[in-house]
Amino acid sequence: MTARPDRDGAEQLGLLGTAWEEAAQHWQDEVARQFDADHWTPLAQRSRAYLEALGTLLDVLETAERDTEF
Amino acid sequence: MTKGGSGGTNIGSWGTNRVHADIDALKGFHEALVRFRYAQRGVAERGGDQIEMTRASLAAKASRWQSRLEQCHAELDACRAGGGEEAADCSAYVRAVEQTGERLEHIRRWQQRVDIEASEFGGTAGAYLDLLDSDLPRAESQLLAIITSLEAARRVPAAET
Repeated sequence: MTARPDRDGAEQLGLLGTAWEEAAQHWQDEVARQFDADHWTPLAQRSRAYLEALGTLLDVLETAERDTEF
Repeated sequence: MTKGGSGGTNIGSWGTNRVHADIDALKGFHEALVRFRYAQRGVAERGGDQIEMTRASLAAKASRWQSRLEQCHAELDACRAGGGEEAADCSAYVRAVEQTGERLEHIRRWQQRVDIEASEFGGTAGAYLDLLDSDLPRAESQLLAIITSLEAARRVPAAET
């Protein structure tokens, strides 16, 4: 059975978060803080929001399929 | 970087091994960013496919039940026409028409809901695709520039203590 895309996306975001934490352990100067504020934090937030919206939509699609099986 | 600074080439007392570790960590993060961008594009495409599959499935169901409703109407009409002098009991056909019509309406309501939900999601998805196609490559480029700068710094001997 194929995994839902929102769950795959969340898994990928988790892997990226781990890579960021690893980099952040070594990278803690002003440039790092700027990169965090300009790129990483918005990317993580918007990815989570997108995946949540996708998950909600996929729930609706699954319910639509189930609810119209007569 | 932690002690040397990724914005310049001053390594200071920070050891070369430390620079290597930092650069490796940044390279790892850069590779993870690129993988993430491709993976999330795939996620977005699969999400779009799911929407289209559900729309097609609901359309097929609506078409099937529309045909069935027309058939039920025809059977009811035949019942009513075939009674002769005595009025035939067509109540079963009436119920079939009602039930089939209700199911068809139910499917159509779901079609409308899916269209609305998909349309609302489209705004979020479009903005996210923009982020993947524009913002993320910019972040990757900036990170590469930082890595390049650090690698240049690595070639500068560490200051003696």
